[in-house]
Amino acid sequence: MIAQVLPKALLSMDKRRRLCLLKAPAGSAMHDYLSTPLPNKDATIARTNILSLDFETTGLNVNNDQLLSIGCVDMSHGKIKLASGYHQVIRTHGNLCKTNVAIHQITDAEKEQGAELQHAIDDLLRLMAGKVLLVHYAKIERNFLTQACKRIYGFVPPFLMIDTLAIIKRRLDKSDMPYDPSKLRLVNQRSSFGLPSYHAHNALKDAIATAELLQAELQTHHKGLSTKLRKLL
Amino acid sequence: MVNSELAEISDFIKDIPPFDNLSAEGIGQLVKSIHIEYVRPGHVMPPDEEAHLYILRKGALAYFNHDNELLSKYSEGDMCSVFLFPDDAASIRVEVEEDTLLYAIPKDLLMTAIEESTEATGFFRQTAAQRLQNRMQKHNEGAVISSTLSNALVADFYHGPAATVDSGDSIQVTAMRMNELGYSCMVVTEAGNMVGIVTDKDIRRRCVAIGLDIHAPVAEIMTTDVVTLDVNQSAYDALITMTSSRAHHLPVTDAGELTGVVTVTDMLNQEGDNAINLVHLIRKAKSIEELVRLSAMLPRLQIRMARLGTLAEHAGKSISAITTALTKRLIQLAEADLGSAPVPYAWLAAGSQARQEQFAHSDQDNAIIIHDDMQPEDDAWFKALAKFVNDGLHACGFVYCPGDVMASNDKWRQTKSVWHQYFSQWVDTPKPKALLYSSIFFDLATIHGDASLLGEVRERMLSKTVTNTLFIAHLSRNALSFKPPLGFFRDFVLVESGDNEKALDLKHNGITPIVDLARIYALQEGVSAVNTVERLKQVAGTPSLTQASARNLIDAFEFLGHLRLVHQADLLQAGKEPSNFMNPKSISKLEREHLKDAFKVIKTLQSNRQVTY
Repeated sequence: MIAQVLPKALLSMDKRRRLCLLKAPAGSAMHDYLSTPLPNKDATIARTNILSLDFETTGLNVNNDQLLSIGCVDMSHGKIKLASGYHQVIRTHGNLCKTNVAIHQITDAEKEQGAELQHAIDDLLRLMAGKVLLVHYAKIERNFLTQACKRIYGFVPPFLMIDTLAIIKRRLDKSDMPYDPSKLRLVNQRSSFGLPSYHAHNALKDAIATAELLQAELQTHHKGLSTKLRKLL
Repeated sequence: MVNSELAEISDFIKDIPPFDNLSAEGIGQLVKSIHIEYVRPGHVMPPDEEAHLYILRKGALAYFNHDNELLSKYSEGDMCSVFLFPDDAASIRVEVEEDTLLYAIPKDLLMTAIEESTEATGFFRQTAAQRLQNRMQKHNEGAVISSTLSNALVADFYHGPAATVDSGDSIQVTAMRMNELGYSCMVVTEAGNMVGIVTDKDIRRRCVAIGLDIHAPVAEIMTTDVVTLDVNQSAYDALITMTSSRAHHLPVTDAGELTGVVTVTDMLNQEGDNAINLVHLIRKAKSIEELVRLSAMLPRLQIRMARLGTLAEHAGKSISAITTALTKRLIQLAEADLGSAPVPYAWLAAGSQARQEQFAHSDQDNAIIIHDDMQPEDDAWFKALAKFVNDGLHACGFVYCPGDVMASNDKWRQTKSVWHQYFSQWVDTPKPKALLYSSIFFDLATIHGDASLLGEVRERMLSKTVTNTLFIAHLSRNALSFKPPLGFFRDFVLVESGDNEKALDLKHNGITPIVDLARIYALQEGVSAVNTVERLKQVAGTPSLTQASARNLIDAFEFLGHLRLVHQADLLQAGKEPSNFMNPKSISKLEREHLKDAFKVIKTLQSNRQVTY
């Protein structure tokens, strides 16, 4: 009961997860996610299971726009496992706008073949169990995932998230050198590390691209796979 | 399906041999078994404990041996397969040279994904030498199918049984039988054994023209020193035997028993516009102008052989047979003009022509060996002969030797005793200059004249080289100066000095090192053959060279020769001068892999040599 008077942020993540678990229907994907312990923040990346995640959306506004596709891939022991690659297009409501289709290349026809939002989010929650999420620019994934959970389950579970954009931004801000904010974009960061260029804006490709970026960032500016998870959150 | 999302990775993988042999399903399975790793300079390779194949997506790796010698470098699109084989990996250290993104595939998953393709599974089960051998085996099979003459056996086109007459039969009876059968040649037997051969020409020249009685026994006009062919010899052997013996008819034997005859016509029928045809026309040429015109067909012939998939060995033999015919014809024209030689002599070819490895547009290397009865005033005749033939060959496209190794040079137009002295000097006191000549004069062949002159010189020379380890040591050191490149790195040919070059010198970086090695083995073992493949075959299994190494060197030699043949055909066809410089980009990725394998074979045998001497 104390939980209800204290601001959520002050509760430990474990407690919040336990509270949420009480609300999650037994046997649901949400229940699976909440009942599997998340990685220890003091563990090294070598011992941390990571799920690199990317969303394609119809726009940036979480209230008006919809989630269009989900792509994710596992990274464990610092290795990206292509066999774990997951990609799902979601059947959104209404027609897609033309400029948007040009970016993510998902057509109305493909979208109609897609899965219902709940189905896709449940897949994702099962894949997330026991893992820290990895994204580039956390705002999109965090907001759309939050929104989707609210809509489906009526509450939002806590997530652990590594944001490569935030990590790189922190590093660049430390030095006095001014930089163009566009430098932080995934494609530009990859090229500054000499990583191969991908055709961007496919959720799975971007998830792989983000994972490779983390590998390069860790090896170049941190302690490689010995870096503690805590340092990256 | 996830596969389409991974299309970029699939596209990258499917362009890399041997994965280009896999179906879309195979590639899909392979891609799914990948995990991506990132390694930096200073990291220890491999990053995994279990056996993995690594494909470089970005970055660079370098291989070193135990002596810290750089073996090769790998970059984007290359594979690092050394960790699939624990034995190989033990002898090689792999260093990360740049930040490198690796696609790692566990060995068991790799083998399952490529199961469908025998090419791909074969690729990962073999060492470099084994892969090259497979490549050459396939090429040989292709040559059998695409070219008729290059692999035809005498058995395929001789006609038998041989028409025979008894040595006691009269010339008239012989001529009547020839009319009856429509043959231009009969084999003469005595109690069933072959004792000679008689042709239309013999009847004309040795009977009718001089008024010999047509009732005389045919034995009186037959040719007795008959050169024969075995049914198992190749069409090329037949060509070369015909050229050297100047016979148009050769009896064919099977296990020593006479079974038939091969004629020039048989061979012409075997393949129309070919080397034999050209040799035939050269033999009939009446003037230098005619020879020049005929020589102009050589490049075309070479292009044709390259396109037909002729083995480089056979192409080299054909071109050499033509040069030999050309040289002989020039000598005949000179002799017709100068009168016959004052004393016996032999015209010698040196270098690639002697080894029967010549291609169109080579320069000429030749010499004359003269009987010791020669008097000082006789030299004028030989000098005139040399000048006529050297000029003639030059006019026919075989340009003057830049090092003046030609019979017109007084130094290389000497008596047998002087040649004995030359060789003694070269072998006993191997000076740098002597070693320079060794690559030319230890490869000699008699083109015309008394073959016993060179035979004796060679025999004595070989008896010295087999015992003189100092000479062999010097020769080895000299030969090792031509090294194969380490491989290719990005678009460059990777050389040991660290300077990368744009083009690969097929001759000096690949062919010459093998020719040199074969010569050293031959001199060490007292083998008199001069053809590189023949030398390697004969020394195989001696202390100088194991059977397996000989096999590997022959494969590498044939592969490099084939690349050169095709490369030069491309240049000739484009109307350019044929050169030995090839841009590695101009060949397929798979050929580049085979080329690397060939370099590995040469390097291994060179370093064995280095250890021995």
